[in-house]
Amino acid sequence: MGTKDDEYDYLFKVVLIGDSGVGKSNLLSRFTRNEFNLESKSTIGVEFATRSIQVDGKTIKAQIWDTAGQERYRAITSAYYRGAVGALLVYDIAKHLTYENVERWLKELRDHADNNIVIMLVGNKSDLRHLRAVPTDEAKAFAEKNNLSFIETSALDSTNVETAFQNILTEIYKIVSQKQIRDSPDDDNSPSNNVQTIHVAPTDNAAPRQQKCCSV
Amino acid sequence: MSAFSNEPLKDGNKGGFWKKGSGFPGSIKPVYGAQHPPLQMMPRGKEDRSKSSNKKDAFQDFENKTSDAWDDGDDDLLVMANIQMSLRDVQSTAKAVMENHSKQFSAQNQQNAIKDHVTAVPSATSSHGAGPGVGVRLNSGWRPPKSTPIRYTKDVVPDREATKLEKFRSVLAGPNTDLDELRKLSWSGIPKAVRATAWKILSGYLPASVDRREPTLQRKRHEYFSFIEQYYDTRHQEMHQDTFRQILKDIPRMTSLAHLFQQQVVQEIFERILYIWAIRHPASGYVQGINDLVTPFFVVFLSEFIENDVESENFEVSQLPKETLNTIEADSFWCTSKLLDGIQDNYTFAQPGIQMKVSALQELVKRIDVPLYKHLEEQCVEFLQFSFRWMNNLLMREIPLRCTIRLWDTYQAEENGFADFHLYVCAAFLVRFTQDILREHDFQGILMFLQNLPTHHWQNEEIGELLAEAFKLKYMFADAPNHLSKKK
Repeated sequence: MGTKDDEYDYLFKVVLIGDSGVGKSNLLSRFTRNEFNLESKSTIGVEFATRSIQVDGKTIKAQIWDTAGQERYRAITSAYYRGAVGALLVYDIAKHLTYENVERWLKELRDHADNNIVIMLVGNKSDLRHLRAVPTDEAKAFAEKNNLSFIETSALDSTNVETAFQNILTEIYKIVSQKQIRDSPDDDNSPSNNVQTIHVAPTDNAAPRQQKCCSV
Repeated sequence: MSAFSNEPLKDGNKGGFWKKGSGFPGSIKPVYGAQHPPLQMMPRGKEDRSKSSNKKDAFQDFENKTSDAWDDGDDDLLVMANIQMSLRDVQSTAKAVMENHSKQFSAQNQQNAIKDHVTAVPSATSSHGAGPGVGVRLNSGWRPPKSTPIRYTKDVVPDREATKLEKFRSVLAGPNTDLDELRKLSWSGIPKAVRATAWKILSGYLPASVDRREPTLQRKRHEYFSFIEQYYDTRHQEMHQDTFRQILKDIPRMTSLAHLFQQQVVQEIFERILYIWAIRHPASGYVQGINDLVTPFFVVFLSEFIENDVESENFEVSQLPKETLNTIEADSFWCTSKLLDGIQDNYTFAQPGIQMKVSALQELVKRIDVPLYKHLEEQCVEFLQFSFRWMNNLLMREIPLRCTIRLWDTYQAEENGFADFHLYVCAAFLVRFTQDILREHDFQGILMFLQNLPTHHWQNEEIGELLAEAFKLKYMFADAPNHLSKKK
């Protein structure tokens, strides 16, 4: 089960996207429950999990939406991009096609997500060394060119999973807290008790407790 | 106007297969569930509401006139043709009825609902003459009786089971199976021994006439394998490789019966069934979740060949002769096709069928469980977030396979069970957990709970209760056109 504690300073909505079978659901279960299942079921539509971490002494609650990779679900899943402040764009280092499709996923984000969304390119299944089809350098270069952060992970042996989420949440936090300093007084949300909501989707549980949800 | 105006397709005729006209495979047009012969073939919009109470007679008429001729061209393409009853119509009627009801009952509802979170609808009681599936209509004088929970006796008297099996056997024996009778019997569950045959008949795959069953099976099985001969090689072509790749990815991930799906022979059967279905239905193609829907058919048809003491999930399928495997494969293909014909708009672009059903579910829950609805609303939980999968996979991800199989006995006994009745089952399913959901105080908690419902231990009893609740809802909200006309 997800973290039940309601004590958090920031709530960030993050989406997991990428081709079918690259390991999105296992990245999520590794991060939120420290679980991995080699034969996990395909995700239908969208699934959800949450975990809180500490950054700079602040509690950040990540609300993570795991999406189905298949094309047909795009119409449903793209609705969840709205209000997301971060996206983990996952490919499988052992399947070149899933890397080639990264361009298409970036376009999806451009079309449906907020402009400022922080995107991290994630090459998953790094444990499959002998089957590697996507060189690290190539993906790294691509990420730099497109202004994405980049990491290789293995949900199976846990390599870098924690780091990946930690990094993207920290990156989001930095942007948000700087923005907060820049235009703090007249912020739309004007949080009364130091609580800053980033997530703005009108239809999701975006807001911290006291605030009325569905308000934007 | 006839459902059979399309000429029968010639076996293996490629030109005839991609048919002109309204019945092309994968047509986006909503179709009436194929698990039954069409009830009425009226042009859309001309449907006279007052006549819908004669549905049963019309169906009887139809059945008498046509005997089992509808099996003649029982290719799924034909079933799709010219059938005018659309889900949208059904939904809009349901909605209108609901609105009327809400006016009538809202005051009472509110009170009840606050006192008792679980249900605010009057329940059909056992004292009511009509059992589920009998199809007797409530007349306008009917008043909701006091709510009495329906109880199912846990220790089933063996005699009763034996009697039931006897009844099934005599209905199935023919010479002509009385479909109405078969549906009545099946609604409350089909004994394992006759389930495979009953399903094949209920789905519209097997003719009612005993004499015609064997020839039909021969023909359809031959037809299926001729599809494979013609099309299966196209799976690596550029145009189709995405489809096939997706299928290959999904089959090993079907963990509901892990051992079964790790067997190569089973994987290959599913690959063929899904691929052939997908390229014959280009408007939807293969969508994740459809793979799950093949499973109950496959397992039920397989179980016919497994001795009782072996669980089907542990069975080594390759033990069976090739011939037998072929029949299981072909029969699973055709029955899955029939099912999917009734819900194809669940899988076409943007999945309109699902969107529609999810909003109908939301409407329904708003009427029957106000506190739950408000709680979800307050916590910003959207129905789409949890019930999309319920619709896309027909609850197969939410309940154990044995329960799905029992559920499908009833779905196939219902008119349009997989599309319309499923909606009521979903509503009953949700409100079953009202107390648990109300206990969750935030969005995260509610959603995590709804994604992992505690149903692992469920047996037929739970499904029986669920179906009884769903039946009540259907009675209240969709199956009472008189309520609507009285108000006008």
